[in-house]
Amino acid sequence: MSMIRRLLALDGVNVICHFRDDGSFVEGYGLMSHDDMVRLAHFAHDYRRMIQGNADQLAMFTGMRGWTPPRGWIIQGATQSVCGVGNLVCVVDPTGAPLNDILLELREVSHW
Amino acid sequence: MAILDELMRLPGAMAAFEFRGSGELLEHRIAHPDRINPATLDLLAHMCSANMSIAAMQTRGWEQVTAMQGFYPVQEFTLVGFDWSVVVSALRRERCKQAGQSKLPPFTGIVLANESADYEAVFALLERSEPAA
Repeated sequence: MSMIRRLLALDGVNVICHFRDDGSFVEGYGLMSHDDMVRLAHFAHDYRRMIQGNADQLAMFTGMRGWTPPRGWIIQGATQSVCGVGNLVCVVDPTGAPLNDILLELREVSHW
Repeated sequence: MAILDELMRLPGAMAAFEFRGSGELLEHRIAHPDRINPATLDLLAHMCSANMSIAAMQTRGWEQVTAMQGFYPVQEFTLVGFDWSVVVSALRRERCKQAGQSKLPPFTGIVLANESADYEAVFALLERSEPAA
């Protein structure tokens, strides 16, 4: 079984995708079509690069260490959240979701 | 600003702040002035304002392309840096928009030390905070 698939066992996690450093889709599981998972992987890759750039500039302008390299990001919408860590991205229903555990698990799995 | 004082009581809180939609820093609290100062918070607020706008564009586009719902409007944005995190919330603004108010309250944000950050506690506090009068 894929290592990333175990993330679906966490409450609230509905989709998990893995992408390469160029943003290309590797694998994904959950309640989403394959085409949308490919889109999600591209989005997460672009967003990760943007966050990296933001953190780099913040560190450069302020001289404050500890922002970069960023470990991850979360965007919370009205009823859906998207979390990215490394080359992983997941879609979460945040109601009652253990976001602390989800972030920890994403970090651990992203190192495999 | 009661919400800022409440945020500062959360585990790992280094600073709490409010900022305009255009990014200018308004009220703030700082727990460790040797690590973070108002000038840094101001730049951080501008970065977060930009990210909220970009995330709004992305979630609107995502919903149009996929027909999935629930991503827009963006309510909170979190950047987990190497040692620090920042969480910003637009929830009070969104509640005022839904109520038809034209004057919107500022965004609310908190800077956390990752080693003791409790993101769920931050979200829970931000989500139960009352709309500004």
